[in-house]
Amino acid sequence: MFSYECVQDGQNVTVSFKGDLDIEVTETMEEIIKKLQPFQYVHINLGEVPFVDSTGIGLLIHLVDTLKQENKDVTISHIQPDVEEVFKIIQLKEILGEEIFAR
Amino acid sequence: MYVNEYRRICELTSSNDHSIDERLEREIKLARNIQAKLLNGFPRINGAEIQGISIPARLIGGDYYDFYRLENGNIRMVIGDVMGKGIPAAMLMILTRGAFRSASESTTSPAETLAAMSKALYQDLRSLKSFVTLFCADWNPITNVLTYASAGHNMPLFVNGKEKKIVDPPKASGVMIGAFSNQVYEEKSVKLEENNMIFFYTDGIVEAENKNREQFKHERLINILLEHSHKSVDAIKKYVVEAIHRFTEGVPPKDDITMVILKIHQESNTISFIHSKE
Repeated sequence: MFSYECVQDGQNVTVSFKGDLDIEVTETMEEIIKKLQPFQYVHINLGEVPFVDSTGIGLLIHLVDTLKQENKDVTISHIQPDVEEVFKIIQLKEILGEEIFAR
Repeated sequence: MYVNEYRRICELTSSNDHSIDERLEREIKLARNIQAKLLNGFPRINGAEIQGISIPARLIGGDYYDFYRLENGNIRMVIGDVMGKGIPAAMLMILTRGAFRSASESTTSPAETLAAMSKALYQDLRSLKSFVTLFCADWNPITNVLTYASAGHNMPLFVNGKEKKIVDPPKASGVMIGAFSNQVYEEKSVKLEENNMIFFYTDGIVEAENKNREQFKHERLINILLEHSHKSVDAIKKYVVEAIHRFTEGVPPKDDITMVILKIHQESNTISFIHSKE
């Protein structure tokens, strides 16, 4: 079961995803996008996401693209090794931009 | 009186819902049949074997594979995964199939095919917020050279049947279809030899989960391929499917499971196409 938590600090917000990022998250992602609207700096923490499928990657791209179109600064961090492998195959860094992936 | 009227409306709505359900079920079955037929033509090759299977996670799926016989006698093959599942993914799969067939008519290499498909599908995929990963390969049955390109799709597994080991061919890089409008794809080649087997697949296989949420993983798949590499591709296909079923112990699949297996028996081959009745 997917859930998320937002922790805000002024213009910064950290959104932590918990659970698999897959087709079940489709509606929740629209809700997340709305919740992140007021913030300039968005940090997406994937530390508790053990699995991402192709639909989940699509949702993540949609989230980042929407936030970037609104000129927000976005970072993604704490990627689990299995998820990192999927991102690598799909070449997500090339698609979203290397600078988004926090070290 | 109002109660009776309300009851009657409820009965009418319920009977209408029932007929809508039946109609939907019938149409989904028809769609499933269409999809199964489109995924059922395999080239028949003297001196080599090729087989594929796609098992949708839901009633119909978004995974895709196809073969196209080129004028120069080569076989172009493609395997792919459309983002999403069920009916929406199946609709995009049909769109992808059309783009592959049309691109294969006018392009001379896998990289060119992927670039043409990317160009053709980009606008639609962007507006639908979707994408497709694809691996495309041209196999020359005379020289046994396999030339390939990838659009964000995993590399196939190359099995050396003589030495019973997996070999790592050069990786071809390229982003998925739908990410950029004018994408250029890298192309690599490998020379195949007798008893070599190429296992093209989608991530639904290695990511299949059991009730403990463990994944099937590459290791299990590789072990099966090495153990049975001397058998027919049809048998290997069945061993892989059975192993996944055994491993998942009835846990419903999260993703479609698709594989295409090419196995070389002798150095030079001739080809014809058959439409399987399976």
